[in-house]
Amino acid sequence: MSRSGISRTILAVYLLTAAGTAIWLSAIFLAPALAGRGSAGAARLLYAAFSPICHQLPGRCFSIHGHPLAVCARCLGIYSGFAAGLVLYPFIRGFSKLELPSIRVFLPLTLPMALDGAAGILGIWASPMGVRFATGVVWGTVLPFFFVTGIADLFLAGRRRAAAMALERNQANDVK
Amino acid sequence: MDQKKPEYLRPALFAGAVAGLLSGLPIISVGNCVCCLWIVGGAAMATRLLAKNTAGILTSGDGAIVGVLTGIVAAVVDTIVKIPFQPYNMALARRIIDKVSEFGTEMPPGLDGLFDGGSGTLSPGWFLLGLFFSAAVFAAMGVLGGIIGIAVFAKKYPQVPPPAAPPSAPQGPPDAA
Repeated sequence: MSRSGISRTILAVYLLTAAGTAIWLSAIFLAPALAGRGSAGAARLLYAAFSPICHQLPGRCFSIHGHPLAVCARCLGIYSGFAAGLVLYPFIRGFSKLELPSIRVFLPLTLPMALDGAAGILGIWASPMGVRFATGVVWGTVLPFFFVTGIADLFLAGRRRAAAMALERNQANDVK
Repeated sequence: MDQKKPEYLRPALFAGAVAGLLSGLPIISVGNCVCCLWIVGGAAMATRLLAKNTAGILTSGDGAIVGVLTGIVAAVVDTIVKIPFQPYNMALARRIIDKVSEFGTEMPPGLDGLFDGGSGTLSPGWFLLGLFFSAAVFAAMGVLGGIIGIAVFAKKYPQVPPPAAPPSAPQGPPDAA
């Protein structure tokens, strides 16, 4: 596949991921906004959508006008960090690289959140919301560099397979 | 190079079942509160199993595929495992929310109605909706875990077979004494 084809695919995946992230973050803030306006049913639906991946304990969530966000401070940090990583993506990586970032970059950025989370679960300490948010941002920032690359490679692999199959068919037809 | 397509389903079924079980059991499921630890970790493990069973190089796209499948399997298993624990989970969640409410923090709206549902079980509609949301979210987290797993576990270079040993030189007749 040509270099421009690879770049177009990565750019398309990047834009779709950015749009999805914007919708995801909007939903997190929309839940308390709807609750504040009296739309309890719609708010409940949004809170339920995020319930599989977050404990949503009100004491650990930032709030708007007294209503907690749909996810806790740590989760909000991760998703905000993901958005920040997407903003940095074109400058750091561009749209032509298909190699995944090194795991040596990933692990140190994971450590603060992992330690904070583990200490909280084990009852060693209860970190303030700002620390949870910050450690989530640090980890979330590196995730788009894996996610966008991986999804782009998935689409490109599909196209490579389709091109190979078309070539095989043409060759088989030529032989006949 | 004609490379055999990796077999995604078996690693995804195994790792997804384990991740779903850990996500569904009470107390243990709290691990998912650290960015879906069980789902991301399960997808990474699925990638490890895939790498072990695949001779060639795996790409990040392969990690994404096995991650999605792992997430979907985990969502189904999680939903099934949670069914017998539903009343316990409801009671536990109510106790936690009540404890936090002592500090004057407001509950998300509609949550009261959820806990006062009498039998503590959800309607089929909510059940299916919950399964759909879980599958979508766990699949997204699984993609992430699968791609990270590729970075950690997958072979980086082609497995070139060792060169065949050169044929031994033909033995000439022994020197005549």
